[in-house]
Amino acid sequence: MTYQRLRVPRLAQLVLVIGGTYGGFWLIFDLWLGQPIPRSLMGMYMFFVVVGVLMVFTATEKSTGQLVGPIRALVEDPARRWLRNVVFTVVPALAALGVYLQMQPSDEPPLELRSIHPAPPSSVKIFGKRYDLMSLENPYRHLEKDDPEQFRELVAAGGEVYIRNCQYCHGDKLDGKGPYAQGLNPVPLNFQDIGTIAQLQESFLFWRIATGGPGLPKEATPWISSMPVWEDFLSEEQIWQVILYLYDYTGHRPRSWGHE
Amino acid sequence: MNVQQGSEMVNAARRRRPLRWRYRLARLPVWLMVLGATAGMPALAAGDADLGEEIYTQRCMLCHGEEGDGMGPAAERLNPPPRDFTMAQYKIRTTRVDEIAPADADLVRMIHDGMPGTAMPGWSDVLSDADIQDLTAFLKTLAGLEEEAPGQVIDYGTQVPVSPESIAQGRELFHEDDRCSECHGQAGKGDAVKKLKDDSGYRTWPRNLTKPWTFRGSNDPRDIFARITTGIAGTQMPSFDDPDSEGRLSIEQRWHLANYVNSLEKTEKVVRPENTVIRALRLPGAVPTEPDDPLWQQALPSTFMLVPQLIAGERFFTPANDTITIRAMYSEEEIGFHLEWDDRTRSIPGEEAAEKIADPGISEDRVAIQLPVALTAGAEKPYFLHGDSRHPVNLWFWRSGSAERPAGVSLVTARGIADRDTRDAAEAGLTGKGSYQDGSWQVVLRRPLMTADLSQDLEFHEGTFIPVAFSVWDGSNSESDSAHTLTTWYWLLLKPPPGNAPWLFAGLAFVLMLLGEVWWARTAQRRQRS
Ligand code: HEC
Ligand code: HEC
Ligand code: HEC
Repeated sequence: MTYQRLRVPRLAQLVLVIGGTYGGFWLIFDLWLGQPIPRSLMGMYMFFVVVGVLMVFTATEKSTGQLVGPIRALVEDPARRWLRNVVFTVVPALAALGVYLQMQPSDEPPLELRSIHPAPPSSVKIFGKRYDLMSLENPYRHLEKDDPEQFRELVAAGGEVYIRNCQYCHGDKLDGKGPYAQGLNPVPLNFQDIGTIAQLQESFLFWRIATGGPGLPKEATPWISSMPVWEDFLSEEQIWQVILYLYDYTGHRPRSWGHE
Repeated sequence: MNVQQGSEMVNAARRRRPLRWRYRLARLPVWLMVLGATAGMPALAAGDADLGEEIYTQRCMLCHGEEGDGMGPAAERLNPPPRDFTMAQYKIRTTRVDEIAPADADLVRMIHDGMPGTAMPGWSDVLSDADIQDLTAFLKTLAGLEEEAPGQVIDYGTQVPVSPESIAQGRELFHEDDRCSECHGQAGKGDAVKKLKDDSGYRTWPRNLTKPWTFRGSNDPRDIFARITTGIAGTQMPSFDDPDSEGRLSIEQRWHLANYVNSLEKTEKVVRPENTVIRALRLPGAVPTEPDDPLWQQALPSTFMLVPQLIAGERFFTPANDTITIRAMYSEEEIGFHLEWDDRTRSIPGEEAAEKIADPGISEDRVAIQLPVALTAGAEKPYFLHGDSRHPVNLWFWRSGSAERPAGVSLVTARGIADRDTRDAAEAGLTGKGSYQDGSWQVVLRRPLMTADLSQDLEFHEGTFIPVAFSVWDGSNSESDSAHTLTTWYWLLLKPPPGNAPWLFAGLAFVLMLLGEVWWARTAQRRQRS
């Protein structure tokens, strides 16, 4: 009787859950987003998935029994000898295939993980001056309320700075798809995305724009960032103006320390 | 938008693959509209010019200018420059040459899809169809076309389907009296024999027809037919259906030409952003020394985008070259790189023919392979732009030579774009050779795998991922010193042959597992019996 109920389901569930997770990753990242997860990273995820699922499936003695029951039956039941022999050759053959593939020289380049928004230094030296990033604010921001007309002019000036200097990479729609974006790695950031400037303070942007890729700390791989050091080309005023433009065009609001 | 653009991923390792079907689907509505207009149907409702002006001010003015004259603040840094809308000249149109006005669908399409190979993006992701109608209405007011009836669409006749015969006829027409090859070159790569300027005096280059992803229109024969028929307004690309011209061709001839142009695509020169590894092929014999040795074709090509150096020092915004294709092979002793890039001009200072088509101040064409002087243990690399003070790079240069000195190689150690030491290339064993044909440079650079001095040069070992980058100078496009194009870091891999080890270990795994299973089954059965 119990035998009836035990036939495959528990084991099949296990396989389904693990296979489903893998398939899900594949569906979402490879097929839908078109951005496959690197193999090594995927291996790591799947390891945790398998361990986690096994832990759940063997949480109680009963569930463990349900899981290993069919396997044990396969090994011990003389009536299923034939099936056993098949399984016993297929499993090592699969393992051998795995080893074979694993040992092929890999084409996959080393993974380069980088922190996109590293912690900024508390103060930086730019334009020969020290700036305290914790308290630094955009000197023009208050004009948004106090003098909207002058504010619009400053935004327009920022737009000129942007189109002359930034659109090649960040795109004239500020979506990170400038004409040369595809030739760069890491790709220029997409300011329309809620994960970039919408999350940041204007002082952070000031630091990032003024010091560019080379100004990044090590965990953010400064050696591959193509973001130029704008301190060399723009004035302090122009950097604040272009920051106004980035927020104005995208409609995002800068994060602020205080309460407004 | 097209294969040249598009990617929003922030992870450094992976990029979006070109999803061609998606891009095709996205174009479908516009195609339907174009077809609708062609059939003479009133497919488009007129937009509202006032609403269009608002969108224009927000989205287009910075490039196309406050007055719509193309004189936005970035104009001199863009090549081609933004269109001057006051001239009523549109490159991509389907109305006859003698018509003043384009079809509304033409403008709608350009705004919707953008113009590949230029700064003009497609707007379909941020603007609705109604917005685009409004913009179209507004753009027409800038050219005084608002009262003008839409122009009469060209006669497509009956389309000649693509076939080897049609392509052969097209090839003949292309070369007959240098009809098209005069400007587009023998191989269609746009290698110039004369200096072309557009109506506003900007330097223009005939399109490289082997790279149809840079067409402002598309590579569809129907589109190419329209370009040949209407010409490209404001540029030297003539109409071949101009009633006033002797060069007028029949509809059928134009279809043959369109089919031929469509057949020229060189797919190995498409940039595939997911490909970041150059796989060097191991040869049983020696690495070939000649650039046109057919053996090179056996190595896998990797094509990378060339980005203008708009990052540091004296910046450069108007490149002429767009991609470089790399192949690599190695023997027991040597590694060789085969670099191929389309360059419309062979720049030899002092040579009359070269000077004539070059921009003033011609210098040699150059290419450089950039490698770290030493590999670092962690993920750290030299700064991608010619290294930095702590992590120098070696640049293997090849230059095209001038009337005074022959072409040759040189070796430079750089610590950033301003800090360079020239070294003795012969001592390091660096050799090279280049050849120019029909609009492409092919250059081979070779060096022994091993080096005498590890503190100065990297050694090449199988199985190691080695960072590698490239820079290109087009001497006829005023490119010299820090004005050039470059790639970011990619990887070079000398892929070792797998050998017997995988078979051995796979066999071992099989046997061990089988033994384990047998033991398991035995003990289990014994336990059961007892
Ligand atoms: C040569 C290409 C290039 C140009 C030109 C360029 N950027 Fe960048 N920028 C990048 C890249 C690549 C990144 C992402 C890598 C990084 O974080 O450094 C980036 C990152 C940024 C960031 C960080 C955003 C965040 O979420 O942390 C800001 C802000 C920024 N850029 C602003 C600008 C501005 C303003 C200009 C013009 C004055 C500009 N960039 C011009 C390539 C460029
Ligand atoms: C980053 C700068 C830039 C922006 C922003 C821009 N354009 Fe363009 N546009 C260009 C350039 C450059 C060309 C010329 C391309 C060429 O000549 O091959 C162009 C050409 C055009 C053309 C001419 C098409 C043809 O067949 O000749 C139209 C129409 C046009 N743009 C409309 C717009 C509209 C509408 C907007 C705003 C929604 C806009 N552009 C925003 C750069 C831009
Ligand atoms: C006098 C020089 C000249 C001649 C002759 C000429 N072209 Fe062109 N062609 C050009 C130029 C210049 C361009 C690029 C215009 C621009 O700047 O957008 C061009 C562009 C093109 C394009 C690109 C269309 C697109 O969508 O971007 C095609 C296709 C083309 N030509 C085909 C031909 C064919 C076929 C012939 C012969 C029947 C021909 N051309 C003859 C100068 C010429």
